[in-house]
Amino acid sequence: MTASSFFAGAVVSLLVGLDRTACAQFMLARPIVAAPLVGLFLGDPLVGLKIGALLELLWLGKLPVGAAVPPDDTQVAIGATVLVIALAPMLGGAEGSGLLLLVLLVAMPLGKVGQYFDRLARHGNARLLLRAEEALEREDLVTVERCHRRGLLHFAAAAVATYLLIVLAGKGLLPLLYPLYGGLLGDVSGWVQLIFFLVGSAAIVGTLNVSRAMTLFAASFASALLLFWLR
Amino acid sequence: MGIVLARIDSRLIHGQVLEAWVPHVQANCIMVANDRIGALSLQKKIMKAAVPRGIEVFIGSLVEVAQQLAGARYSGLKVLLLFDSSRDALRGHRDGIPLTELNLGNMHAGEGKQRYSCTLALDAEDIANFDALEACGVKIVSQCLPADHERDWHKLMALGGG
Amino acid sequence: MTTSALPFTTRLHCLLRAFLLQGSWNFERMQSLGVLYALLPGLRRIYPAEQLPAEAKRHLDYFNSHPFLAASILGATLNLEQERQRGGEGYLGVDEFKRITMAPYAAMGDAFFWGGIRPFAAGIALFFAVKESLWAPMVFLTLFNLPHLLLRVGGFFRGCECGLELIDLYQRLHLPDLAIRFKEGTVILLGGLCGYQSYLVLTHQETVVSWGLLLFPLVLIMGGLVRRGISPLLQVLSLSTLLILGALIYR
Repeated sequence: MTASSFFAGAVVSLLVGLDRTACAQFMLARPIVAAPLVGLFLGDPLVGLKIGALLELLWLGKLPVGAAVPPDDTQVAIGATVLVIALAPMLGGAEGSGLLLLVLLVAMPLGKVGQYFDRLARHGNARLLLRAEEALEREDLVTVERCHRRGLLHFAAAAVATYLLIVLAGKGLLPLLYPLYGGLLGDVSGWVQLIFFLVGSAAIVGTLNVSRAMTLFAASFASALLLFWLR
Repeated sequence: MGIVLARIDSRLIHGQVLEAWVPHVQANCIMVANDRIGALSLQKKIMKAAVPRGIEVFIGSLVEVAQQLAGARYSGLKVLLLFDSSRDALRGHRDGIPLTELNLGNMHAGEGKQRYSCTLALDAEDIANFDALEACGVKIVSQCLPADHERDWHKLMALGGG
Repeated sequence: MTTSALPFTTRLHCLLRAFLLQGSWNFERMQSLGVLYALLPGLRRIYPAEQLPAEAKRHLDYFNSHPFLAASILGATLNLEQERQRGGEGYLGVDEFKRITMAPYAAMGDAFFWGGIRPFAAGIALFFAVKESLWAPMVFLTLFNLPHLLLRVGGFFRGCECGLELIDLYQRLHLPDLAIRFKEGTVILLGGLCGYQSYLVLTHQETVVSWGLLLFPLVLIMGGLVRRGISPLLQVLSLSTLLILGALIYR
């Protein structure tokens, strides 16, 4: 893996990671945006788009509601894209989707670690709140503002830490796993991708508070399938 | 039918309840038992506006909620019942709200409260209230979202409090 | 002191800071420090320096709402703070207003943006992604950010102008009902997408297309499993393992 692609990934990971919670939330942090973006920097946006689309589907139903912290799909998307683009030449070309899917299957569970780092950042922010309160007692409002902005550093650190972990773990594991499973996964890649579609939709249909969700899904699924069959 | 989920949540009606719990337990009615809010019409109006059509909302004092639950109107509905404190849950139970299980969602930090998990901060009074509820046969579990693991509150006490 | 509205530049400063609302999110008081940070440029203009720290302190109280709708609450808060400074605090005080609106507005925002618009925009963008078109991220960002910025920026300025009347505005918008429409739309989009993908895989494997209809009960089962707490991630991992095993045996 070249150092430059690794660092380009880290920069995107930091900027986009801030958009996830701390800053603005323009949804740059969604996999379907973040992964093609990092792919663009590394010269292959289409690989990113494919990864982003599969992750977006799978975690469509996960909501950042209240104090609940969802798994870090942003860093999984960025890390996986960097890994696929960097490892493809090393592992004898990127024919088929075997490598891409294997990277995803390895990277996705690591998104849970992102939850841990994210919580750590939020606990770190509690100390900033204390410091801001003390500053307010001293009537020092400039420090209060600085304390708030310091929180951005915590979120950025959590994002980059998750990215590093995913990329390093992937770089260690994938050269071992790819010769064993890459080819097999390539053979069934269509089905594995279909699983992402079906499980992701099932998750959102199953968790929606819409009583007609099942009917709507079934009707639309059947009509799409049958229309193509008629064609 | 009756109560499908009874929960303590300092935020009462909010995203976790509406987006995660209502579909999970398939509730078609949300009841908020709170003496203070029960008397404030503006706050009731704002809270009701957060709930989509098709889900009944009843916001009232503890006694009113107990009466409504005993009546015919709400007995056919799947009710998600919300309290904002352990004190209300215990008082509600004594006022005749039939509780078998109590879910602990969010209980905010404050003076004298100790943090037991990311979302739960309890003081000695809370713990005494839970003991009293448990003595009445109410099972108390902590689970912020349906996707989280359900944990017995005694385990929470053993783990947390750091 | 101030009898007219805050100058536009001050309001803009507060609005821009409101984009950093969650910068110091913590489990103790969530967005409270962010609220104070966003309001400070306005508070500095409203209150004389010796009064400012005491007034600022009120805004360090617990606060958590939806980051987009919070901008409206902050706008209205600035309006109410001006009234308070003029000594005319109405039937609902500033702090009481924030306290009673934050959770219901959080619920509206969660339902409308996280549960409604975001999956819907993603559902449309996914069609572009399946077609391998790089417009997918652009489509997603545009569809999501139009309503986002409209409600965040527009809501903030409306809040500044009309204060407590903001409540009536949101009563009329019926965001939770709109959210349900978007959710229904999302389900239809996903159904079509899954139907198309199933068709691709099945013809590729030279199987009869109508067998694809048998995939539907599978979705039902998967939905049931998600409900029982078996996460989508775990399902994908285990089903993929099964497929790899299948391929191994088939070989």
